[in-house]
Amino acid sequence: MINYKRFSLENGLRVLIHEDKSTPLIAMNILYDVGSRDEDPEMTGLAHLFEHLMFGGSLNIPDYDTPLQLVGGENNAFTNNDITNYYLTIPSENIETGFWLESDRMAELDFSQKNLETQRNVVIEEFNQRYLNQPYGDAILKLRPLAYKIHPYRWPTIGMDMAHIKNTDLEQVKKFFFSHYAPNNAILALTGNIGYDLAFKLSRKWFGPIEKRTIQPRNLPAEPEQKEARILTIERDVPSTSIYKVWHIGPRNSKDFYTLDIITDLLAGGESGRLYTKLVRGKKLFSEINAYLTADIDPGLIIVQGKLMKGVDIQEADKSINEVINGLLRENEIKDEMEKVKNKFESSTVFSNTSILNKAANLSFFELLGDPGLINNEVNANRNVSHRMVIESLERYFNPTNCSTINYISTQKER
Amino acid sequence: MNTLQRIQPPVFPVEKVVIPEAKSFKLNNGIPVYLIEAGTEDIMRLEFVFRAGQVKEYMPLLASTCNMMLSEGSQNYSSEELNRTLDYYGVFLNQSVEKDCAGIVLFFLNKHIEKVLELSREILFRPAFPETELNSLMKKRLRWYMVNREKVQNLAIDQFFESLFGKNHPYGYQVHNQNFENITPSLLSDFHNKYYTPENMAVIISGKIHNKTAELLNSYIGVIVSNENNYKASINLIKGDKFKKVHVNKSGTVQNAIRIGSATINKRHSDYPGLKVLDSILGGYFGSRLMKNIREEKGYTYGISSSISSLDLTGYKVISTEVGQKNCQKAIDEIYKEIKLLQNVPVKNAEMAVVRNYMSGEMVRMFDGPFALAESFRSTWEFGLDNSYFYRLAEKIKTIDPDEIIELARTYYKIDDLYEITAGSE
Repeated sequence: MINYKRFSLENGLRVLIHEDKSTPLIAMNILYDVGSRDEDPEMTGLAHLFEHLMFGGSLNIPDYDTPLQLVGGENNAFTNNDITNYYLTIPSENIETGFWLESDRMAELDFSQKNLETQRNVVIEEFNQRYLNQPYGDAILKLRPLAYKIHPYRWPTIGMDMAHIKNTDLEQVKKFFFSHYAPNNAILALTGNIGYDLAFKLSRKWFGPIEKRTIQPRNLPAEPEQKEARILTIERDVPSTSIYKVWHIGPRNSKDFYTLDIITDLLAGGESGRLYTKLVRGKKLFSEINAYLTADIDPGLIIVQGKLMKGVDIQEADKSINEVINGLLRENEIKDEMEKVKNKFESSTVFSNTSILNKAANLSFFELLGDPGLINNEVNANRNVSHRMVIESLERYFNPTNCSTINYISTQKER
Repeated sequence: MNTLQRIQPPVFPVEKVVIPEAKSFKLNNGIPVYLIEAGTEDIMRLEFVFRAGQVKEYMPLLASTCNMMLSEGSQNYSSEELNRTLDYYGVFLNQSVEKDCAGIVLFFLNKHIEKVLELSREILFRPAFPETELNSLMKKRLRWYMVNREKVQNLAIDQFFESLFGKNHPYGYQVHNQNFENITPSLLSDFHNKYYTPENMAVIISGKIHNKTAELLNSYIGVIVSNENNYKASINLIKGDKFKKVHVNKSGTVQNAIRIGSATINKRHSDYPGLKVLDSILGGYFGSRLMKNIREEKGYTYGISSSISSLDLTGYKVISTEVGQKNCQKAIDEIYKEIKLLQNVPVKNAEMAVVRNYMSGEMVRMFDGPFALAESFRSTWEFGLDNSYFYRLAEKIKTIDPDEIIELARTYYKIDDLYEITAGSE
């Protein structure tokens, strides 16, 4: 059981606190309710570029990292389709430095042309490193626009075109900051060696004076229902042919979420998952295969991806995946298997919550979803999934017309 | 906006490092056990570590295949049963092979400890090395290997080790396609009999320790006896290549990988803690000189770092980055420039303060919680050292002065000794 307390400041900042005296550290997590789904389609990648700019100095503090390092702190951040999340850990006696730093950059950034130019280059190198210079790195770039035609999930967080990054100017950056970075659009979580009273006092002192900003309500176009199977074939100079299959699912808060999570675990939870035992160990069609949910806040995807063994026909590989999924539908006796994936979920939740950083990130994200209590209730939600619910979800989502497939064909001569 | 003082950071005290000592005892068959009580949850991290790493192998892939095959079937369980049972009890099993050591780490809820010990005994001491599973593993590994060889960072680091430690030493040699065809069940059994023995291992336990832990360990693991007594392998010579600059060609890449470094002292040497501080200043953290100059100032790369690592027979330091083709030579020039600066210009006190405090904070993190504690313990145990190493490091972080940094940079970063490996398009 993870005990936490929660309060809001007058400016709208929500604060969650979980005290854990067994650690000498405190984790501080600030989630901003802005991600790549909030970008202009003509200027994608801005949310992520902005995350880089957040380390370039704020109104009163020319350099974010040095003062934090000076008190033994460590930090990082990530951006995804939905959120931008900043976090740090720090020896507890120095927590006020964390408040000082984070509140100053929430108040106002130092918008410098030099920093913008450097970070544009860094992001382009990040794009090259992650997506262009890795085998299969561009598959995900192709997958999104295949599955989504309207919704902003159709572009990746790094941006759909590096020209968008190159063309970003300081005015756009400023506008982005003041329309998304605000106490009333953020959630602060503090976990570790910090009591409620101190957390309350410091939150008020440092974040209290920042004024509320006008945040436009989010109004994103819904993705229309997919009515026919989509297939994209691409050829690349890679050693193995790969296949990627995705199906549309509901939003993160939908009733089906934990059922779908169980389905991906039945299919690919560890080496005893069905896809692995049947297609890697058994038929030896794949060298590796995986299944997971994107866990996006808006309607997301279930993704199955695998690398084929030498000489395997891609149609046969595709068919074999569908057979494993259909096998789940047909079988009546999967009680032990359900019990297995539920035990594993419980165990992995307990382990994840041994880290103060995970606890802080989870509390913030669950608060954004509308229920921080999920940090204690997820295991139950998962336990409550029945065989009936699994069957219903399989029938609802795993339709050929709801599926997009990428056949990622190797052009290398077999060696 | 308000009267709050936002220019100066709030005052802070300097934190101190407290390291809990591990309790130790021996099982009936002499296996040393180390217990580290930590954390709030009723969970355990159980590590079995063997001196069975790559350094012991007499052909490529032997040590890693032996370790990977441990969970592919035993006397009493098929590979499928083993994996299903582990998953059923919510156990996370990590198998690992390093240059010197190999072993397994299990994470689990304490209520399942008996089952975990029974399965560990099967995995570690009763592996069957079935031929079908071996063949299929080697086919899969060959596919993984071929994908990995598409990545410039792997091409560069594989060449780096070969240049540093030589084509004939297990620390150095590279793996080739045909190596995947040479491993047989009998080779694996032989390797297993020699190195997965009570004489070659230790058990490191952290988390919530129960009264019955020792007794249970004795009944499952304390009864194991060796098949072969204390086999001593002959040790090959480590010999660096005479060519310091090597480019591994791979056409069509948008970035090149750079690895610059050389063999160096390891943890047992008294200069090592000082070298750790020097390494941090150069490229060991986000505020390091390489990061500031090459990423934050010039934007040549998404990331650049340096590290020093200890091996049983030697050690090495390496600077790693991936940069766009057109900036590759510029980045290399800047790396050497930063090294020369450290050899000639004293580090200013302000920068010393940042690195001292950053590293002190890192030390707090190294001992926070059962998992970090176990990893830190293991990192000294391997070298026959104890917590006094960490206290020496903490002391060095506080007291090292700019002159000593210059001295260390001149001794250990001689430009002529450094290997410069690049991989990517010409």
